[in-house]
This record gives sequence, structure tokens and C-alpha cells, in this order.
Amino acid sequence: MTQSKLLLDQVSKEFGDGDTSVKVLDHISLDIKSGEFVAVVGPSGSGKSTFLSIAGALLSPSKGRIWMYDQEITKLSAKKMNQLRLSHIGFIFQSSNLIPYLTVRDQLLLMAKLAGQHGQEPKQRADDLLHRLGLSHRKSHYPESLSGGERQRVAIARAWMSDPELILADEPTASLDSERGRTVVQMLADEVKLRQKAAVMVTHDQRMLDLCDRIVYIEDGKLSEQPRPIQL
Amino acid sequence: MFLALREFRHAKLRYLLIGFIMVLIAWLVLFVTGLAQGLSSDNASSIQNMKADYLVLQEESDHRINRSVLTDELWNEVRSHPGGSDAAQLGVHMSTLTQEGSSTKFDAAFFAIDMESFLAPKVVEGSRISNTDAGVVMADSSLKDDGYRLGDRIVDQASGTSFEIAAFTEGQSFSHAPVIHMNFEGWKSLQPGSSKHGAIYNAIALNGSTEQMEALVSDIPGIELITKKEALQGIPGFQEEQGSLIMMIVFLFVIAAFVLAVFFYVITIQKMNQFGVLKAIGAGTGYLARNLILQVLSLTLVSLAISIGLTYGVSYLLAGVVPFSLTPSVVLLCSLLFLAVSLLGSLLSLYRVIKIDAIEAIGRAA
Repeated sequence: MTQSKLLLDQVSKEFGDGDTSVKVLDHISLDIKSGEFVAVVGPSGSGKSTFLSIAGALLSPSKGRIWMYDQEITKLSAKKMNQLRLSHIGFIFQSSNLIPYLTVRDQLLLMAKLAGQHGQEPKQRADDLLHRLGLSHRKSHYPESLSGGERQRVAIARAWMSDPELILADEPTASLDSERGRTVVQMLADEVKLRQKAAVMVTHDQRMLDLCDRIVYIEDGKLSEQPRPIQL
Repeated sequence: MFLALREFRHAKLRYLLIGFIMVLIAWLVLFVTGLAQGLSSDNASSIQNMKADYLVLQEESDHRINRSVLTDELWNEVRSHPGGSDAAQLGVHMSTLTQEGSSTKFDAAFFAIDMESFLAPKVVEGSRISNTDAGVVMADSSLKDDGYRLGDRIVDQASGTSFEIAAFTEGQSFSHAPVIHMNFEGWKSLQPGSSKHGAIYNAIALNGSTEQMEALVSDIPGIELITKKEALQGIPGFQEEQGSLIMMIVFLFVIAAFVLAVFFYVITIQKMNQFGVLKAIGAGTGYLARNLILQVLSLTLVSLAISIGLTYGVSYLLAGVVPFSLTPSVVLLCSLLFLAVSLLGSLLSLYRVIKIDAIEAIGRAA
């Protein structure tokens, strides 16, 4: 049996309290195994962002329990959650997630710095990642001179830099045309398979769903899993 | 400090501009401070350099040495009191002088002292005059810049008495005029009317403990005791001069704090989204706060270094034209204050950085 990378058990999230409380997530359970690439789709306001925040240890759930890899992360202090994100989770956000004053290579090295790694090894790792994602020739460019697709590839490289167990992607293709978007998602999927890690991608983009292993729908805070659509 | 330095490198113009403003402010702070110090010593160095802790003046003289008149009788009373064991008389007289054989006038302050007492200044040229020769004086070396040499004779306008400059002293000025030290024999010739009452002095300089001084004041009627600092404040114009300069310096510090505060606040607000991303990918608040503080500190330190250089450069060019004095300890104090003020200015931005939530990175398209 393959190992669970992320396990959510009856997770609920409410905002506000008493009469004014709003239930954003309602008893969600989800088990993501090694090597799985899961898409999360749903209309605006369905709770996708909250789901991603909870899965990414940015928010604590109101009810339910969460395990990441082999560690329960339901009730961690802000500092512990920070550590966890740094070492176990890779994030890919929408378009604005690169630091404008860092070169492509420095974007990756920042992750090593934050984790307290020094010396040649992180540099080698960064160069390898950039090579694999076809960005070697862009190493010393600033984000402003990259195309949208290149930026998202840098974001993917950065997310892999700390060798996380789980990648969380928040609409990574939102600012890309479909061809470039597909390339980016394909790269993400390939890396997940190659490394036997796991990835969750929140997306609006129906065209990317065939690249995912599983598709999960969220609507009004409830989660339902659908069979993989037949490829067109 | 990975982020801080790379941001400097990327946004050179932005940080150069703010650095330039900081250099100008720090430069002005240091220059005005030097000017205040220079003016203060130009005004009152003979009091500042006086080796006495306290001065006895006539009561109701409002801390002003030249308003006080003390008699021989009182001198003897102070002298015989246990608190007056280490005492010396001082006569101060502002006067207009000319060089013998010339009609160009200049102002000077005559200080009549006992040449054997602790009030006797250090002689840098010539030899110290005795207590008996009425015709010789010791002048401040600033008179040398006006062309006076040892052996030159100066004439007091009011009394017509002439004196020979027998020695030069250093750092002796009072009320922006050079001080000319004389003995009490010479002093008598300046005040022909005083013989009736015996010699007249303006102040008695004292050294001793606070308790002894308190006893002295309560035992002897008709006197007031002031500290050296109070005597400085009592010099006409001293307080006003220093007060206005100090006010300028204080305002400059406040301005520096606000300029930095606004600059870093705007930059921080601009980077909110970025900070959200950084926090989401695992950068701790401490790390981001350290980066911000490092940026503020390095910006301030570099600006300070440049402005210290500029200040000394300008003071070298202006040497002798304006009274300017800036000791390393004052520079250090100003620099530390400047650093403290700049850190104070970064508090607002620091607060924002601490408050930023990593969740802001999610669901943001901008």
C-alpha cells in the first residue's frame, strides 16, 4: 500500500462565531497518496481557497484532524506551521508569487537560505532543477523579464527546491494561455510521478483536468470525488 | 541578509534617493552640532575650561558674573569658612582696547586672577606673569591671528592704561571676546575708584563638596552660589544662541525619523503581497523583520559615514571663518542618536510586517 501524503479526516472550517458564523468547509475527508496529482475544482466561493489554506498549514481547522506524511498537524503553533511549510510543502501561487528583486537562481536559493542550508549543495540542486525545467538560460534574469509561462516554471522549481512531500498549487495557470498552461501543468505532473510525491492543484481550467489522477469537486463546502473525465 | 542586499542591488535608484536625503539630514545635524559647539566655546571657553566647580556671586545677580560685586571683606569671610578653603577671586571686566600706536579697536574681557591660584590658565607661549607686576597681561592666542605678538602693548580705552602682552594662553574666551588675564595689581589700575572700599571682585571660584557649599551659602549672608554650568547660562546671549541651534538639531532628528518612517512604510505597503508569499513559503516573521531592520541600519550607517566625511571636509574648508568644533565623542553620540531615531522610524513598517498573514498569498491574482 502506498503511503498517505496528506490525510484530512472530517475537517470543517467556520469563520466568525455564534449566529454570524459561516461554514466554509463541511466535514471534508480526503486521502492523497504518493505519486498522486489531485485537481480541486469548484465555483467561486465554494471554499477552494480555504481548503488549500488548511491543507497548506496556513489555517487551522475548526473541527477534524489532518495528517501530513506521518505527522498530525491539526493543532500546531504558528511557528511550527511555518517550519512545516518550509520543509514539507511546496507552494505555487497565481501570477504574482516570485520576488521581483531576486534572479531566477536566487529565487530557488532563498528556499535553501530559509531552511538554513549553505554551501555548494543547494546551488547544485538549484541548477539541476532549472536545467530540468528548461530554465538554465534564464538563471540570472529577474522575473520582470520572463514570460508568464517561464515565471510559473520558476515557481514550480522553487516549490521543489526544499524537496517537499506535497505541492499545493493555487490556480497556477490563471495568467497563462492554454498551451503554456498545459506545459506548466504537465511539468508539475511529471515531477510528481518522478519523485513519488503528491500535488494538489486548485483550478478553474477544465482543460488541465486530464493531466490529473483524481478530480475532487468542492461546492458549498462539501467535497465530492468524480471519476476522471475521458480524454478528448 | 540575503533579501536585504539583493533588494538594494535591484532597486538602486530608490535607495540611493532616500540615502541621499539621509546624508543631507545627517550632514546638517552634524554641521549644526559642530557650529553649536564652536559657538559655545567661542562664547564661553574660559568658563568651560575653568578648573572650578562653583562660583560665589553677590545675591540677586541673576547668575551673571558681570552683575555681581564682591568686596575684600566678603572674600575674607569666604576664605575663613571651612567650605572656602579652596577658593580664588575673579574679576571680570569687558573692555574695548587698541594696540598702542594704532586706532583699530577690539573687544576683550579682562580676567583678574591670583596667578598662584587654580584659576591661572595654561601658558602656551611666553611665561606666566607674576602677581606683582601691574603692567603685564596674558592674552588668548586668538589675538595672534589679529597680528599681536609677545611684547606688544595694548591700551584700555576707558582708563588709558597700557599693558604689555607677556604670554599667550589657549581656549580662553568670554562672551565671544578673547580673554586677557591680569593680576590684581593691574586690576586696580583699571578701577581707580575702588581703593576706597579695597579691591572689588565679581566672583569667587570654589572647589569642594556639595555639603560644604550648602553650609557656605547658609552661613554667609548676601551671596549666591552657582555651578559652572549656571555661570555659562548667565553669559549674555549664551542660552539664546545654544537654544535656537539645539532646537534646529532636535527638529532635524524628528524629520529624519519621519522621512525614514514614511519611506519604509510606503515600501512595505507596496510589498505586502510579496511578504504574504514569503511567509507562505516558510519565511518566519523574525527573518523578515531582521531584513527590514538590516536595511534601515545599513542605509543609515552608510549615510552617516558619508555625512561625517562631508562635515569634516566642509569644516576644513571653513576653518577660521566660522567657529566650528566637533569632537569624535560628539560625532559618536550624534551617530548613535541618528541610528536610534532611524530604528524608531522603522517601527511602523515592522508592525505591518509582523501583522501580514501568509493566507494573503492564496487566492490573489494581482
